Amino acid sequence: MFLEAKNINKGFGAEKVLDDLSLQLAEHEMLSILGRSGSGKTTLLKILAGLESPDKGMVLLQGQDMGPLPPNRRNIVYLYQEPLLFPHLNVFENIAFGLRLRKAPEGAVQKRVAEMLANLELPEQARKMPHQLSGGQRQRVAFGRALIINPKVLLLDEPFGALDAETRASMQQLLKRIAKAFAITALFVTHGLKEALIMGDRIGLMQQGELKVYDSKKAFIEDVETGVQAEMDFWREIE
Amino acid sequence: MRTTAHRTPHTEMQKTSTYIGLGLFFALTAFPLLLGIGYALLFSLGLAGMLSEGFTSEHWQAVLGSESFWETMAFSIYVALVSIGLAVTLAMLLVVRWPRTFESTPLSFFIYWPLAIPAIVMAFLIFQLLSKGGALSRLAFQLGLVDGLSQFPDWVNGQYGIGIITAHFFMALPFFLILYTQMYSHEGLKGLMQQAFTLGANRRQAAWRVAVPVLLRRSFATVVLYFLFVMGSYEIPLLLGSQSRQMVSVLTIQKLQRFNLADIPQAYTISVVYSVMVVALVLWLLGAKKQV
Repeated sequence: MFLEAKNINKGFGAEKVLDDLSLQLAEHEMLSILGRSGSGKTTLLKILAGLESPDKGMVLLQGQDMGPLPPNRRNIVYLYQEPLLFPHLNVFENIAFGLRLRKAPEGAVQKRVAEMLANLELPEQARKMPHQLSGGQRQRVAFGRALIINPKVLLLDEPFGALDAETRASMQQLLKRIAKAFAITALFVTHGLKEALIMGDRIGLMQQGELKVYDSKKAFIEDVETGVQAEMDFWREIE
Repeated sequence: MRTTAHRTPHTEMQKTSTYIGLGLFFALTAFPLLLGIGYALLFSLGLAGMLSEGFTSEHWQAVLGSESFWETMAFSIYVALVSIGLAVTLAMLLVVRWPRTFESTPLSFFIYWPLAIPAIVMAFLIFQLLSKGGALSRLAFQLGLVDGLSQFPDWVNGQYGIGIITAHFFMALPFFLILYTQMYSHEGLKGLMQQAFTLGANRRQAAWRVAVPVLLRRSFATVVLYFLFVMGSYEIPLLLGSQSRQMVSVLTIQKLQRFNLADIPQAYTISVVYSVMVVALVLWLLGAKKQV
């Protein structure tokens, strides 16, 4: 398996956040994880990224134990709900950040960033500063900054949570397109039912620190706990 | 229509209160300052004061042509640059490395307390610590590092202004610690640094490429204003400075209080030159801020 989390436990003080959680993610797969606020989704992603340490359990990437590796050596990029663009760098330099860290030659940086900007439909924004962009544009730059270094896994923590409904829908389509083009392996965390269904190749439900991954979207829809049935009943009643 | 009718008096009131605020600000701060600078300019040109004998550029020529004036300016800039440079660098390093330490722990109280100490008291403490008869000198003697107290280096009243720099450093450090601690959380630096880590930056790269530029950019105006404050400081260099190398305020006051009344216009000339420099820097800062 490409990415594996085995029996992860994590607590903060007396509060248990992750309870013996395990998951598997195949290469080029996007797994949606649906969960309410406080269900432990963010903690799980931070443990996978190396930003938090588990109390127990291990994370394996292509069979290698990630435990001893700091976040900068895992090649797993974690994207927050907020785009967190570096405010002192323009769009071009934000996207080039990872390449500059890796001391890529200037010609390669120019070429790859230009390609990425075109992919993200942002070529005219290259010299703008982050505060001059809209919410959707900022999130696209954050994707570009992550994708340009070809991460092995992308961890998306409710990346469209702060966007309006229309921008959110177009960003979902953009991410689907990019995910396919770049053959991304990703975990997509959300609290939106519809978004979980749209984005994931498979879907998991996280409740009180435990994760249940469904074999198919049909199984996810049929499970009463996911809330899909309640949602469908609601719309039927309106009809 | 109703909305417009409703809004107009409110907007008018807002406008009026803005004008009152600006008027009060001008009357209480800018106007007296401008009057002072204006009077100093007239005095320096021989157009005001008891000894005035009509327009002359003699005092300006004397000040601008004197080596000691430019040495004083250079020394003042050097002291401000070194003390603020050290304080900003250390404060930034501490906050980036241990951001939570200075937020609310009991330790933070002891770090902040020097802020409450007046400049003259700080100068006195540094004198007690660094002078030839001070604590460090005695300790060095007890440890056998020097044979006599006179062998202890001239850290106070010396040519390099080490005492002045130390005093200003200890006063500026807590100020910048508070500033950067607040900025660290306000600018979301924890998240930005974590983002940099997952993009491949190690701790040093994240600090240099993200935290330091963000903090410096946000605090630039404050750093420049503090720099001006140190350049123009009086009590600390008066007590800890040397007779031969003076900072600008000390030189000005000395000229103003000398028995030779002919020196007074020169004191006013120095204060005009210094004021012009400060105003130019502030205007440049405002311009730079607009561009950001």
